Amino acid sequence: MFVHLQGPWNPVWGRLSLQAIPYQNPILLGTFTFAMIAALAIVGAVVYFRAGPYLWREWFTTVDHKKIGVMYCLLGLVMLFRGFADALMIRTQQAIAVGPHSPGYLGALHGYLTPFHIGQVYTAHGLIMVVFAATPLLVGIMNIVVPLQIGARDMAYPYLNALGFWLTAAAGALVMLSLFVGNFAHGGWYGFLPLFELPYSPGVGVDYWMWAFQLSAVGTTMGSINLIATIVKMRAPGMTWMRMPIFTWASLSTNLIALTSFPVLMVSLALIGLDRYFGTHFYTAGQGGNLMLYNDLFWVWGHPEVYFLILPAFGMMSEIIPTFSEKTLFGYATMVVASFAIGGVSWGVWLHHFFTMAAEPSVNSFYSVTTMLVGIPTGVKVFNWIFTMYRGRVRFELPMLWALLALFLLLVGGMTGMMNAFATSDYMWHNGVFVVAHFHMMVLLIAASIFGGVEYWFPKVFGFKLEQRWGKWFFWFMVLGTAWVFVPMFILGFAGMTRRLDYIPVTQWAPYLRVMLVGMAFYVMALGFFVAHLYVSLRDRVKNRVGADPWGTTRNLEWMTHSPVPAYNFAYIPHVHARDEWAWRKEHGMASLGNESFEDIHMPRNTGVPVLLGGLAFVLCFALVWRIWWLAAAGLGAVVLVIILRSFARDTDEVIPAKTVAGVEGGAQDALPAPARG
Amino acid sequence: MSKRGIKGALKALCAPLLLTLGGCAKSGLFLLEPQGVISRVTYHYFRLDVGIMLLIIIPTALLAIFAMWRYRKGGRGDYRPEWSHSYLIEAVVWGIPLITVGVLSYLSIKAIYEVNPYNPGAISSKGSASGKPLDVDVIATDWRWLFIYPGQKIASVDRLVIPAGVPVRFRLTSTSVVNDFIIPQLVGMIDVMPGMRTKQTLVADRVGRYVGYSADYSGAGLSWMNFETKAVTRAQFARWVKKTQAAPQALTYAGFNRFAKPYLAVYHHRMVFGHVQSGLLDHVVEEVMSGKVWRTPMAMTENMVRYMKKQQANVKAGEY
Repeated sequence: MFVHLQGPWNPVWGRLSLQAIPYQNPILLGTFTFAMIAALAIVGAVVYFRAGPYLWREWFTTVDHKKIGVMYCLLGLVMLFRGFADALMIRTQQAIAVGPHSPGYLGALHGYLTPFHIGQVYTAHGLIMVVFAATPLLVGIMNIVVPLQIGARDMAYPYLNALGFWLTAAAGALVMLSLFVGNFAHGGWYGFLPLFELPYSPGVGVDYWMWAFQLSAVGTTMGSINLIATIVKMRAPGMTWMRMPIFTWASLSTNLIALTSFPVLMVSLALIGLDRYFGTHFYTAGQGGNLMLYNDLFWVWGHPEVYFLILPAFGMMSEIIPTFSEKTLFGYATMVVASFAIGGVSWGVWLHHFFTMAAEPSVNSFYSVTTMLVGIPTGVKVFNWIFTMYRGRVRFELPMLWALLALFLLLVGGMTGMMNAFATSDYMWHNGVFVVAHFHMMVLLIAASIFGGVEYWFPKVFGFKLEQRWGKWFFWFMVLGTAWVFVPMFILGFAGMTRRLDYIPVTQWAPYLRVMLVGMAFYVMALGFFVAHLYVSLRDRVKNRVGADPWGTTRNLEWMTHSPVPAYNFAYIPHVHARDEWAWRKEHGMASLGNESFEDIHMPRNTGVPVLLGGLAFVLCFALVWRIWWLAAAGLGAVVLVIILRSFARDTDEVIPAKTVAGVEGGAQDALPAPARG
Repeated sequence: MSKRGIKGALKALCAPLLLTLGGCAKSGLFLLEPQGVISRVTYHYFRLDVGIMLLIIIPTALLAIFAMWRYRKGGRGDYRPEWSHSYLIEAVVWGIPLITVGVLSYLSIKAIYEVNPYNPGAISSKGSASGKPLDVDVIATDWRWLFIYPGQKIASVDRLVIPAGVPVRFRLTSTSVVNDFIIPQLVGMIDVMPGMRTKQTLVADRVGRYVGYSADYSGAGLSWMNFETKAVTRAQFARWVKKTQAAPQALTYAGFNRFAKPYLAVYHHRMVFGHVQSGLLDHVVEEVMSGKVWRTPMAMTENMVRYMKKQQANVKAGEY
């Protein structure tokens, strides 16, 4: 329409044609077969157990923050698996394709992936791990835990919560679909301009990337509005700011970052869209465009985003370490200040993502210093965790192991982060694998906190503990894999190896690349142990049933209600007397919930509108990717129509009668907390 | 920490890995073997930075291990569950990072000015580099490097020849997308951007061959977008210039238009131009600014399998 498109286009199918299906590629064919078998197994199971109506009623249409949180986590786990498969492909390709005499398979000159194929794998790995694995897992955990920690019955906007999830899920589905219909962007997850402009990326890959990213950004922004409103307005009586659990503080800080930074991402992506669809020149090299504008805009989001991911991870560590040190958190106020300091500084460091753009030395000096400043509050946090263990009684249960792993990864990541902040060192390895190894330390820290958090809160959500034996195998093989993959990668960083290579020209690097494969083998085994961990836990779920307080030394409100948590969370909204309310109550003999007269509880009603909107958004974005204008118009029209119709719905709430509440409360076996552990 | 200390430690760390897998003649750890003024200064500050950071990180790690072990359940440490605050400790835990960051910031700023690509203090202040600086214009295409010697009116593709001990001043631009110019043993990265001109400066310490490449993702040809840097004596350089000037091929604006089309430099065939139309770099910058693009054909991105097959056939036919 407005731009010069390479390749055919017709009004009915847009750019879509049979050629868009990569059925000739054996790797994708294999993936497709695997995906189809998995999908058939799931659909088959749903049909066999007649679980369809149950799933629709209880899960797809739910507005319950816990169930939405669980679905976020499931989405995150699926995408984590996909991202890991991508990582396996990158590592194997780089281990094979070293030097001009290395073999080539499946049509590739070296290794088994062509340049554009591995480009897509890189991009997908990065985008998926950051946006579709880490983010949903963290948002999911915040969704589940925050309302419970502040003694609320649900989020401030339960409907918005479901909508945010379904938009994120639609975005994830779009990324997955790009495997089998068309292809994905090939330039790296954060986008390179002008490489992502039409003349250099003529296909639909960048469009898939852009719309999936955009959609997930909308979803995450909705989530952040919701969590902020919930924390500010829905705290139980008596919970003053300085009595708020530290994870809730971290969530508040992180969502303030999200709310203020995600709109920047949406704009920067939208401008790419204008360039690609309407032929404008925001980021082109010529005709007044400015490609550095994209770097600026993107990283103004991108760097705060890093802290958006890491602050909840720190928050989880701050919950787990006191529980398993049987002690209050050291320096609560300091931790709060540090969280907000990190959030604040995060806005002033973005330029270190392009130190090499030949800015004035004064500019690079400024950003070098601001970046180092991040080290101060982060260092303080490390010390505070250490002093929390100091004079405590440290129990090395699974959640604690993960939290401690996160702490040590933070030491490595922090150290290398300070090395990156040193601008002149950064000149040497800016686009190198040293930086890659550094930020993998940080995201593995986040992953470790997530696994710790899941182990920690799992019994609260599902009412039984995860078993420990396979879980420990899983843990130790993750440690082994991390060491074997990333120590060689740091060394290659000193070698000056750069990122995103599909062929490695320097043969001396081969040994390190092969050692990394050993690490990947450990990771694969870890995945096996993880599956065993889940399977055994599910099998023994009756045996592993627990009461309200499975760890015995927990400190916050979420451990006061039953496990699993009833739909209404708390039969009574608790009155908060102290920081670490639950610990305070246990100490003062107020652990019993009491069972006087119950009241009717007013709750939001389930609705199918969010899942419908998610589906329509998916159709809209798919049509835009393939430039099927009629479908895009229809999709957009339907979205607007559904939003308008929904705004007239009045009957969106329901009441849980006191009698039902009494029944649930009476029936719960764990009205009294489990005795504290020795 | 001493220069040998860290280098030795790193090598010791790598040695077992190398031994188990056959080992190699040369380490390939370019950043730890700087051969130019800029890279040496950078390496000096890198070592200082790492040394100072290790002074903080190692005790912290030891403290963490001590706290975990000493205060494990059933261990000997005393248990004081309410102890959660101490002004002294707070002051120390804020103080240590604050002082460290202060010191490192000072060093970082000093280093930034010393290796400023446009006017490196390390080169202008030290008398080590002598002689009239050599100017080289660098144009990155999809996906090759063109080195133009405007003073000598010659050009070389994917091979940079420079005299050792002489400052080399680069002006860099790109025809299409962003690349990143680096010769790890001589000088760090500088972005090479279309429609813009950046600068870089280096001095090679001694005669030798060094690998250079593009560090920023620029498309399918990135992995092959490397070039050989040959540092030679001044006499050898003069001979090379003379020989190159005798080469028959000339590079004009029109010829450059053809040259700049996307090309995967698999198994480089390096070439030279005996004459180059003057002002080529400025011409390219201007053209790109006014909207000139060298498109990547759809066949290279979309029809992946067909493209792979075609590439394979081309290789068999000896085209690359």
